[in-house]
Amino acid sequence: MIAAWLVLIALAGICPARAASGDAAWQTQPYQLGQGLYFPQQRLRIGGYANLHYYDVRDHRTTLAVNDLSLFLTKDIGTRWKLFTEVEASNVLAANGGQSTRRDADIDVERLYVDYLTHQGITLRFGKFLTPVGQWNLIHADPLVWTVSRPLVTTAAFSEHATGAMMLGTVTFLHHDLDYWLFADDSKSLEPARNRDLAYDAFGADSSLRNNFQHAVGGRVLYHMLDDRLSVGASYLDYAIRQPNQRYRLVGLDFSWSGEHFNLSGEGIHRTSAGADVPAEYGGFLQTEIPLAQRLYLVGRYEHYRSSIPPQSTTVRIVALNFHLQPGIVLKLERRDGANNTRLSPSGWLAAVAVLF
Amino acid sequence: MTHPRPRLLAALILQGTLLLTDSMPALAGETQVAVIVSSRAPRVAFDRAMLRAIYLKKIFIGQNGRRLIPVNLPPGNPLRDAFSHALIDMRDAQLQEYWNRQYFQGISPPYVLGSQKAVVRFVAGTPGAIGYVWPCHVDSSVHAVLMISLPTPVAGPDPEACPANPQP
Repeated sequence: MIAAWLVLIALAGICPARAASGDAAWQTQPYQLGQGLYFPQQRLRIGGYANLHYYDVRDHRTTLAVNDLSLFLTKDIGTRWKLFTEVEASNVLAANGGQSTRRDADIDVERLYVDYLTHQGITLRFGKFLTPVGQWNLIHADPLVWTVSRPLVTTAAFSEHATGAMMLGTVTFLHHDLDYWLFADDSKSLEPARNRDLAYDAFGADSSLRNNFQHAVGGRVLYHMLDDRLSVGASYLDYAIRQPNQRYRLVGLDFSWSGEHFNLSGEGIHRTSAGADVPAEYGGFLQTEIPLAQRLYLVGRYEHYRSSIPPQSTTVRIVALNFHLQPGIVLKLERRDGANNTRLSPSGWLAAVAVLF
Repeated sequence: MTHPRPRLLAALILQGTLLLTDSMPALAGETQVAVIVSSRAPRVAFDRAMLRAIYLKKIFIGQNGRRLIPVNLPPGNPLRDAFSHALIDMRDAQLQEYWNRQYFQGISPPYVLGSQKAVVRFVAGTPGAIGYVWPCHVDSSVHAVLMISLPTPVAGPDPEACPANPQP
């Protein structure tokens, strides 16, 4: 897949765009953080994000790490096709206990797909994409989320990625926008070697559990109201994962509300197994963001999660500060605590500098 | 036989479109902005919901199967601010967050052109392009498919405003 991505970049013919003359030509915007670099003649945009994390959590060495260095590439091909890819270098650098290491540095294709714009409200997508469950998994880049930690409910029960085909779009329903996603995954055939989607990816968590899809079908709807200040979503998955080889059904609900004085959001899932010996897995979180000053927010989150592997109930509480230093740069400081959380999301201090470029 | 001058023709087209698309006349003190497409493009029906979806890049293909290319005026332009407020009705921070999230999914905001004159020229020559200008800038190269009423006065002086538009 990496080779394919490199070939596509080469085909795109990357070179700086020359400012066209005449006032009706595209106006080449000066580069700004968080908007990517656009090459109008190639109809190509390159951007990405990076982060620097600091962790001081129970039973682990204090660590300073560049966890993600991610590159996006978007290219329009003709009038109907669009290519998008995200290549991510993860665990790039880490320093703990006064030693610098590269840990398990790796380059991975997070997303690689083509979109075909068929009709007003229908886009067809082929390739590897993010699994459409909940709002967090679809928009999980560090500069775009409020906390350093990711809620358990957004990773634990399903694979973050799917490979196959998807139909998505926006239609009007009762005078409001309704976004929808329908997909079918065949990772067993299309990505047989991949086994990387961690069930628990909080720093210090048990990283031995994976939940990569073998096959999956599912869908999601997201209904927007109050001029997009309120959105309510529902997701459904029917899938098999590789290890343990098991078939599951998952339903999820989520919402986000943007108010005058605070924001509120939440996600919840409930997963059942076809196997009688695997208990149901369920949980949810509620999160609020309160502006303290211009660009400075206080964030609070409460999460409760009942996992099947390991079979336990976990509570995670987070109080955090989030400061938008300038468009594209976010600073975060977070205190994580909880009950029975040492294995999945251990208590401690976390901080991050995240840049969307 | 004499031919009507382009600006007069534009006014006639505009008047006809007004009758077709917006039966409510502008109220006193209310200003209107014209949403334009190329006069060479097939006439298609627009409503506010569809236009909003186009400017938020939720719709990419028009009813006629053509790729839609919405264009904006530069940030800080009084007409852009008023148009965005009337059509999209999101707070600045909310809209910024919206585009950040879209960017993560490979979708960028509408392209920007430097002036209303540039918008008219670009839209006229680009099938599928959609722009917005004060009605006095509409000429025979484009036609107005929708008139949007701006309920609040346009903030700040606009050097491209039509003489009849009330200025603060």
